Amino acid sequence: MKPRFGWPFAGLAAAAVLTLLAWADPRIPIEQPVFRYLFVLDITQSMNTRDYHLENLPADRLSFAKAAVRRAIADLPCGSEAGLGLFTTQNVELLFEPLEVCRHAGVIEDVLEHIDWRMAWAADSFIAQGLNSALRILKKRDSGLRLVFLSDGQQTPDDPVRPEIQAKPGEFQGLIVGVGDVKPVPVPKLDRENRPQGFWETADTLAPVTTTAYLDASTDTTHRHKNDGTLYLTWLHEPELKEFANMSGLGYLRLDSPSALSRALRNPELGELRRVPAGIGWLLALAAWALILWPHLAPNRSLRRVSG
Amino acid sequence: MSFGFASPWWLLLAAGALLPWLRSGQPTADYSSATMIPEDRLSAALDRGLRAFASLALLALAAGVARPYALEQWEERLGTGAHIVLLMDRSSSMNENFSGRYLGGTSGESKNAVARRLLADFVQRRSDDLFAMVGFSAAPRYVMPLTQDREAVLAAIDSIGDRGHGITNIAPGLAMALDFFNGKPVTGARIVLLVSDGATRIEDESQDLLRQWFQDNQARLHWIYLRSKNSAALGRAPTGSSENASSEYLLHQYFQSLGVPYTAYEAENPQAVEDAIADVERLANQPLRYFEKIPKQDLSGVFYALALTLLFPLLAAKSLEVRRW
Repeated sequence: MKPRFGWPFAGLAAAAVLTLLAWADPRIPIEQPVFRYLFVLDITQSMNTRDYHLENLPADRLSFAKAAVRRAIADLPCGSEAGLGLFTTQNVELLFEPLEVCRHAGVIEDVLEHIDWRMAWAADSFIAQGLNSALRILKKRDSGLRLVFLSDGQQTPDDPVRPEIQAKPGEFQGLIVGVGDVKPVPVPKLDRENRPQGFWETADTLAPVTTTAYLDASTDTTHRHKNDGTLYLTWLHEPELKEFANMSGLGYLRLDSPSALSRALRNPELGELRRVPAGIGWLLALAAWALILWPHLAPNRSLRRVSG
Repeated sequence: MSFGFASPWWLLLAAGALLPWLRSGQPTADYSSATMIPEDRLSAALDRGLRAFASLALLALAAGVARPYALEQWEERLGTGAHIVLLMDRSSSMNENFSGRYLGGTSGESKNAVARRLLADFVQRRSDDLFAMVGFSAAPRYVMPLTQDREAVLAAIDSIGDRGHGITNIAPGLAMALDFFNGKPVTGARIVLLVSDGATRIEDESQDLLRQWFQDNQARLHWIYLRSKNSAALGRAPTGSSENASSEYLLHQYFQSLGVPYTAYEAENPQAVEDAIADVERLANQPLRYFEKIPKQDLSGVFYALALTLLFPLLAAKSLEVRRW
């Protein structure tokens, strides 16, 4: 007489126990790369330009960049951290210090959603100074923090003197992310309620007419001859951004799709190895799956009829 | 709401769910002549049922292993504390030195640095309250939603140690702060906690609008005033006709005319924050239901539970199995 409960029963029982364990979501600490990023978004008005044309994704640069950052943060492994900052004029201001991405995903996403060009404390856009400001902020924090600087590189007004990037080689790590397309397009002019008011004209961005006792701007024709009613055009200034990336030791990535950014930010070189609790439930479930499948793999040894 | 799989390739395991339909998982028993066994509807149904259970269990496990998740979920929470919007002045005037002392801080410290310690102190000691944060200079900035996530609020407060930029434009900041209360049922104390050096004025038109909004939303205003070396105490009216009223004094006058409870604290010493906390504690609150965005949720547990419930009948059937005549 064979025992009442044989191997098939034991297999199935083991599968049930494994499934129960998997359901309990066990975790063991495993060394894996985690990432700590400070995302700095350019919120100057050229970022309102609509030159993305991908289905189900926003057309304007800022919203597209936000969607990409959102996706990238969601894809980061738990234990990673993300902070958010804004860039306009020549400064970067943080909204919050880096937060763990899984436990705080709700607030991070909500704050990211609310980032808006109207938060800018001044107009104009000096990219190099902004980058320097971001690097200064990074320097004040610990060395594990990486910068992700998202900008179209549009300098307004044009500055003939390009300031140096203040970085020693190897001091910083991260990415400059070029947002937008390289084809020149006009910049939408929006009012405070985000209603479109046409486009920015070149004349709007020229140096303001200043009259002092010693300088009558009306006699200064250097600005006026450019004032021909043309639209002010913007494009992704890739060579400049690449140069900044080179000088600061950061990588460069053109933002074509949210998934590309997410992949680039999971590059193990940008992370640091840390022991983080990793779920092993899926391994147990996989074993349970095999145990349930196993009896069905055995060939039918002989004819067996149950149904007609 | 949107769903996805963290590791979708594992879904290929779902193909295994076909196997029970091709091959029965039961061991065979020898019998002299299978044709002698009468056809039995019940047995046939049982067999199909067991195959279906095994098949579904395999599917559920495959789905679980692929780690399904849900995004963009809102969860209802129950809060009991006051609702406090921290309205933080981030203008460049906040980079100037603070005239008083706070928690051992010296007067050589910037107002930003003092504000940061003061707010962190406040938030840490009010554990049941919900906090939101708005930063403002020339324009208001949405920094934190109304949340119980204390760590996140503290991370936002932590970042105000950096330099501020731009001019002080208080009216849009107050408007954004009041917007957190707009259209929501009043169940407890609503406080706008302004931390500012007050170097600003509000236009008449905005003054009226803000007064209206404060009253509509039944919000109260607490102002922690950070005094610079050269600015005056709030209560000090200009003396004589030769002196202009300071902008802080005018702002204080305006806040007193809001028609809602208003208190100013001059952050000269730690007592100011003690007073502010004590004032908040005196306010009665009812529990409030509110919604908070919750992180990406792992749904594999649901599938494992489903697999488990399917496994129990299979297990029962297996234990009843006849292995030999």
